[in-house]
Formats: sequence, C-alpha cells, structure tokens
Amino acid sequence: MVSVLRQLGTQWKYALLALSVSSAVFSFAIWLPNMSLIATVVSSQTLPWYEKLSFVWSLYGGIRSNFSILSATYTIGIALLTGINVALLAYYIRRVRGGVRSIANSGVTGIAGLASGVFGIGCASCGTLVIASVLAVFGTLGVLSILPFGGEEFGILGVLLLGYVTYTLIKKINAPLVCEHAPAKTG
Amino acid sequence: MEETTGAPARTTAWSKQSNPYLVPGAIVLAGFLIGAGLYFSGGVQIQTFTDTTLASKSLSAPPAQTNIAAVRAITEEDHIKGNPNAPVVIVEYSDYECPFCKRFHVTMNNIMQKYGKTGEVAWVYRHFPLDQLHPRNARIVAAASECVNELAGNDAFWQFTDGYMAVTPSNDRTDLKTVLPQLYREIGVDQGAVEDCVASGRYDQHVQDDVDNAFLTGGRGTPWSILVTKSGKIYPINGAQSQQTVEQLISIAQKEG
Repeated sequence: MVSVLRQLGTQWKYALLALSVSSAVFSFAIWLPNMSLIATVVSSQTLPWYEKLSFVWSLYGGIRSNFSILSATYTIGIALLTGINVALLAYYIRRVRGGVRSIANSGVTGIAGLASGVFGIGCASCGTLVIASVLAVFGTLGVLSILPFGGEEFGILGVLLLGYVTYTLIKKINAPLVCEHAPAKTG
Repeated sequence: MEETTGAPARTTAWSKQSNPYLVPGAIVLAGFLIGAGLYFSGGVQIQTFTDTTLASKSLSAPPAQTNIAAVRAITEEDHIKGNPNAPVVIVEYSDYECPFCKRFHVTMNNIMQKYGKTGEVAWVYRHFPLDQLHPRNARIVAAASECVNELAGNDAFWQFTDGYMAVTPSNDRTDLKTVLPQLYREIGVDQGAVEDCVASGRYDQHVQDDVDNAFLTGGRGTPWSILVTKSGKIYPINGAQSQQTVEQLISIAQKEG
C-alpha cells in the first residue's frame, strides 16, 4: 500500500493533483461559514488585491479557534483523503483504461464519501453547516438534535468511506492486469 | 449464439453489468448537495432548533428572509466595552454556555486591549442563548447578567461576563447554584437581589429581543458578530474567528470608513 502511495508521490502530476484537490476541499471547509464576509471584502473597490488576499488567508487561522479537535481532525482528514482519492483514481484510470465497472464502483463510493464529508463539514461553533441548510428545506432539522454529535457523524462517516475507497483503489492498482473470466452462458 | 466471432465473452458480461450513468449521476448528486448547502446557508450558519423549542420559548420564529442591515441600533441599554463613539463597533451575539463563545470572548478581550484604549473599537455584547443546545443554563445566566447590570452597572456586567466565560466548562455542565453565588460575591452584588430579579422575569423579553435581532440579521449559531462602521458599512463575522482575522477586518473597516 505504501509503495503505491510513494509511487504516486514521486510523480509530480499526481502529487500536484492530490495537493490541489486537498487544498480546495480544505479551503471550502474553512471559508464556507463566512462566504458573505469574503464576498464583501473581495468585492471592495478600494482595497488593494494583496490586502484582500491577506484577509482570505487569515481565515485559515479559524481551524484552531473555530473548530473542535474532532471537527478539525475529520475536516483535515476529508481534505487529504479526497485529494489522495482523486489522484489514485486518475492514476488507476490511466493505467487500466477501460475497467468501467470497477472504476464506477470506486468513483461512486468515493463521491459518497465526499458527499458525506461535505454534509458533516462545518465549524463546530457554527453547527453542521451544510446538512442543517439542506435539512431545513425538508423541515427535518430536529433530526440533528437526536444525533449525539449534532451531525458531525457525517464527517466521521465521510472519513471512513474515503478511507475505504483509498484502500480499495490501492488494492486495484496493486492487482495484476488480467482479464477476468466470465462464465459462459448455457442454453 | 449470443457472441459474435472475435468478441470475448467478458466484454459482453461487463457491458451488461456496468451502468454508464452511475459515475456522472453520483457527481451530479454530490454537486447538488454541495450547491444546495451553499445556497440555503447563504453564507451564514444554521443552528438546529425544534419547533417545540421555538413555540415554548420564543415570541417569534426565525424569519425566512434575513437582513444583516437590520442590526438593532446601539443604545444606552446596550452593554458596551470601550468608546461608545468608536468608529468601529463589533456587536456580538453570544451564549454563556457556548464553548466557542468562550474562545471568542478571549479574542475580543485581546482586541479591546489593543484597540479599546485608543478608542478605535467598541464591543457590544448581546444575548443569543441557544435553547436547544443549552436549555438548562443559558437563558438563566443571560437574565442574571442583566440583573447584575441593573444592580451594579455596566462594569459589573462585564466583570460578571468575563468571569463566567473564564471559569465555567460550557455546554450546561455548570452547577449554577455553586458558581453564580461566587461570582456575585466577587463582584459585590447581593445574591438575593439578583435571584429575585431573575425570578421576576423582567429581563426575559430583553433577552428575547436580542435573540430575535440575531435571527433577523442572519445569525443561526454562536458566536455571531457584526462589525459596523460609523459610515454604516457592515461586515458579518460567523463563528469564533482568529484574532488575526478580526484585526485584519478592523483594519479593512477603518480604511473603508
């Protein structure tokens, strides 16, 4: 397993892909609670670009003040695993070039993991942001009050799903490239 | 025969079992979920609450439409730390039992250490008890703080608030019967007078007015803060942002006027 990851890490385009996707997911999690503030600052006509950039950068400090240890951990975990997943998937697709079914299964599980993680994302001080927003549409906000962690379970589930997909993708990459025998139909 | 010459059986088997719509369908679904979350959150957090909680405790339900410009004007009734005529005012809607409000309270005290002395920034504290998360203590402590203010003034209010935020564990784990009397003694207010005031309920509506205003301006969790400049520019601050972020925002607000 480690050899596959090391292989990926040494190929700059996959490493860059993983890093870019991880950064994008992490940034999304940090910025999501304050999108309107970011929009207000960035749309200013008077502020120079470097001040806008500096402000947006400062929001990353919120990972310490605005997140519990649990939510910070799974947020970082989801970001890292998503980046690794996307890079593994790209590597696997390029390598196999046609295993549609197996790619589809991994892709679906990976996206389910990401969707679950997105659901669970939110600073702990804000509540689980996305899921509460979506549940509000269906009038089922009370569901979250039943959950012991107020919806953060989805973040944990996202990490587990993404971890599982990472593991299966690495297994597939390690598997020899052979064609599977399909039993012939009789009758 | 089912197979044509030269076409391997496995290709036929795969073609029958693979669903080409699975992956794009999953991507569309994930995109919808993310987009819905962003759209309905509108850039602010949404706090979970039950309808029964609202019916029993609140005189108004959170409005469908929010308007951050509806932040209530600052008056003499507000609890202000710093220069009331400061060019930058940070109005914070806070919950005494919220752990992140406690973190942000430290940040705001540091901000006031730096900017309060020069009169650049003022801090206004308003109540936003989260009934669903902190049904036991939050509203009682909010009312107690108002009673302390009535009996001993604004400085005593801040002494009470600073003390409660510093010493209590949050999330309704505080034994009020032990902690509050100690705080009253430290501040120098009569415990009996405060308790009679709280029991009278005369500040319940004041606390509820703060809650209503928090909802109206888009607050859905705590801490929820609004930075207002003298010229009327408004910046929403969601959650316990870092001191660096708040300082940068103050700098931006000062430049933009």
